[in-house]
Amino acid sequence: MSARNHDVTVYSLRYGLPLAAFFVLFFITPLLLLVLVSLHDDTAVSVWGVAQYAKIFGEGLALRVLGDTLWLGVQVTVLCLGLGYALAWAYVRSSPTTQKVLMMIIVMPLLTSVVVRTFAWVVILGRQGIVNELLLGWAWIDKPLRLLYSREGLIWALANVQLPLMTLPLITTLQRLESNLEDASAALGANAWRTFRRITVPLSLPGIIAGSLLTFSATITAFITQSLVGGGQMLFMPMYIYQQASSLQNWPYAAAISLVFLVAVIGCVTLLSYLGRLSKGYATT
Amino acid sequence: MDISRRRIMQSALALGALQLFPQLTMAQARNLVFATFTGSWEEAHKAVLVPAALEHMKDANVILDPMISVDQISKVMASREHPPIDVMLHDPGPALTAIEQGLIEPYPVADSAYYQQLMPESQDPMGPSIFYQIVGLTYNPDTIQTPPDSWMDLWKPEYKGRVGITNMNSSLGTGFMVELAKLHGGSDSNIEPAFELLTKLKPNLAAVAANPGQLASLFQQGQIDISPGNFNAIQILKARGVPVEWVAPKEGAIAFKTSIHIVKNSPNRDLAFALIEASMSPQVQSQLMEAPYLVVPTNMQVKMSGEIAESLAKDQAEMKSRFRFQDWKVINPNRAAWIERFNKDIQV
Repeated sequence: MSARNHDVTVYSLRYGLPLAAFFVLFFITPLLLLVLVSLHDDTAVSVWGVAQYAKIFGEGLALRVLGDTLWLGVQVTVLCLGLGYALAWAYVRSSPTTQKVLMMIIVMPLLTSVVVRTFAWVVILGRQGIVNELLLGWAWIDKPLRLLYSREGLIWALANVQLPLMTLPLITTLQRLESNLEDASAALGANAWRTFRRITVPLSLPGIIAGSLLTFSATITAFITQSLVGGGQMLFMPMYIYQQASSLQNWPYAAAISLVFLVAVIGCVTLLSYLGRLSKGYATT
Repeated sequence: MDISRRRIMQSALALGALQLFPQLTMAQARNLVFATFTGSWEEAHKAVLVPAALEHMKDANVILDPMISVDQISKVMASREHPPIDVMLHDPGPALTAIEQGLIEPYPVADSAYYQQLMPESQDPMGPSIFYQIVGLTYNPDTIQTPPDSWMDLWKPEYKGRVGITNMNSSLGTGFMVELAKLHGGSDSNIEPAFELLTKLKPNLAAVAANPGQLASLFQQGQIDISPGNFNAIQILKARGVPVEWVAPKEGAIAFKTSIHIVKNSPNRDLAFALIEASMSPQVQSQLMEAPYLVVPTNMQVKMSGEIAESLAKDQAEMKSRFRFQDWKVINPNRAAWIERFNKDIQV
């Protein structure tokens, strides 16, 4: 009898091969093509060179747009964190019936198309929109505020659109927290604020990191909301790339700025993940 | 009959696999894909041009795939050997790009019945022009009582925070800037005066639309009250009851000739020929000239009448004298640099 005892601690990658092949064909190859296209000097894609990268780092508009986009992502993520944490907190501490209703409200935006949601914000923030009508009706202002096509309006609209992405990971993390820990902290003499600061927040850090990653990535690539609510005066990376690729047919430049954008986003994600590793010291059970 | 699960699975997979080989299934009519412009042009062509063209085609369908000029070029360039579009419609700038890139098949002028009837300016062997897009001032008559009559009205202090423009990605935006420059000492190749004027316009700006379609919806939402605008674009809004009016400025409205082309390597050249013939014919052009489409004709046999004759020009000769034309051969090479400059200047 030749019983072969294979080592059960090592997993064979054979079954991952079809998916890996699919991945290589439809993801890695186009990415490599993008890199190759970006290394050309002219719009007809015939002369090799690094002029596109020289233009990006030399002339300045691309870097400014990139910085603006990343800063927008940070602002929206911070706002979302505040709102999302409060919402997740309320969810975890409600009765089961309220929880069902809250979950429906939180998930509902994800079930609606982004375009529809963004147009809803156009209706709310517009000159004849709900906010302005209310403020004018109460006579708090005497002429309509410019909320649409302004940075503040854009931040609020994006925060609303990306809120489910922040709230759901936070709910998962807060639910796994042992309530005994908070009781123990209170029993040892800490007030509510200290308990929150020293116990709850560090323990929910994995959820905060996960939510922030999702919200940040989704915000900086939110082409539709940035165009419809932001308008033409604020230029962000997605619209810049579209403009160069589609309107101007300048594929090498568009490819180059796409890659710079990709590297910048990977850098931000790595930074956030590093923060996540710091929280490992506070591991829950 | 013994229906087992195995049998059902085999039949379903076989039927599904047949979808991969369309020739095995029933004989299908040939499809001609016509990329028209979005908005009022799509509606006009669907209602008038497509039925007229189908009368001359046997066993064929015309499919409308609306997209703007630059997107049409992107799509065809991505797949030159098997283009997804058979007939393209272009603004003057992208038309030159498409010809340079070798995407266009020359039009068989000798076989055409209607080509010689077009205005001499509309005749081009690479692709005839079938209508003109006219750009003037669009305004909301409810909030602006005295109609504006000049481009410079946009700079008036009473319009602070009520003016809308588009960015220079579109022909509308570029044409507007070039026209401004030409009126203030610039030319088709030098629009420096326009950038200076743009800086002065910024306090009046309520919104910079990302594309001309968005401009129309800004009127609808009451965000802007006055803007440079396309004559045809507001027809749909007017039909829906939105208060918006078009007026030609006293310096002259800008006219873009819009040309229609057969795409190189298209498998349906004869169908494309039939469609373009229909678009040049006097019957279709006079029908499109009527309300609610109000498309400006280029066939000289069409007598201008109706609203076009009242608000634009009584005949082709008057059109030539009253409208302002731009040289896109000179404009095109500069567009990329101008768009970058516009991006920098327009930021708040």
